Amino acid sequence: MLKQYLKALILTLAFLSILLPLASNAPDGLERVAETLGIEEQKPAWEGLMPDYTLPTIDNPYISTLLAGFFGVFLVLGVSFILGIAITKPNR
Amino acid sequence: MHIPDGYLTPETCALTYAISIIFLVWSWKRARAAYSRSLAPLLAVSSAFVFAAQMINFPILYGTSGHLVGGTFLSMLLGPYAAILSMTIVLLMQALFFADGGVFTFGANVFNMAIIGGLSFFLVKLLTKNPQRTGRLFMSISFASWLSVVIGALACGLQIGFSPVFSDVGGIVATVPAMLFWHALIGLGEAAITTTLTSQLHRLQPMVLNGLIILRRKHVETIP
Repeated sequence: MLKQYLKALILTLAFLSILLPLASNAPDGLERVAETLGIEEQKPAWEGLMPDYTLPTIDNPYISTLLAGFFGVFLVLGVSFILGIAITKPNR
Repeated sequence: MHIPDGYLTPETCALTYAISIIFLVWSWKRARAAYSRSLAPLLAVSSAFVFAAQMINFPILYGTSGHLVGGTFLSMLLGPYAAILSMTIVLLMQALFFADGGVFTFGANVFNMAIIGGLSFFLVKLLTKNPQRTGRLFMSISFASWLSVVIGALACGLQIGFSPVFSDVGGIVATVPAMLFWHALIGLGEAAITTTLTSQLHRLQPMVLNGLIILRRKHVETIP
């Protein structure tokens, strides 16, 4: 079973690598609404480590976003695994 | 649909945080009663997948894009309680590390995407009745995933409409119809992706759809 999950994870990373260059850079629904109504984007209270899914030190936009994406995938994987342990009872 | 900081009044931030925390505590308690340890790797991989999928914006119309939210998808895999918690982790990591969605607006984002998304499970359950009939099941998943995005957008439109930033341009009278219009379209993408993913998973790996297994029971007890 664990092998299946590993496969799913590899597929996720492959899927991200392939689809990322095809992803739209157009504003999303909420950004479009704000734009149409003439609302300026507010300065964020917290900039995060990788604002807009880019690593500030890497120039190539594809590599920069892909690495940020991989980082996020493993981060979410780890944190939600801990959550999974926390909300479940050990099998007896 | 991630609301950045500065779009909501402090009152709205506080209220949405409070409501979201109540739902998170409820989900946490229900999840603890319902799941066995074998959920952990599935929860981890499916949350990671949703994070990746949220990075892929698809074009909609007139230079606007949308991306999968994934709440209904997660609820079909994990059931509603773990789906709410899983989506909250995704949103938390986005806010903390990528500045995608604000820190003060985090409670609102959890409500609009994680909670409404996870609760769409119950709509699928209500509409499906007999999950052995897969045609009807996937029709229900389509509709519930579309509606989860539209309801989330409605909530978002109301929240931003009450802030002074948007009240000068018409408040909720302007924000709600605009949010509903765009997300009725984005929801079609959500429905297409969610239905494709769940039906393919059902075909390839029926065991993985634990949420669907819950659907087949009268009460949520344990996942094998």
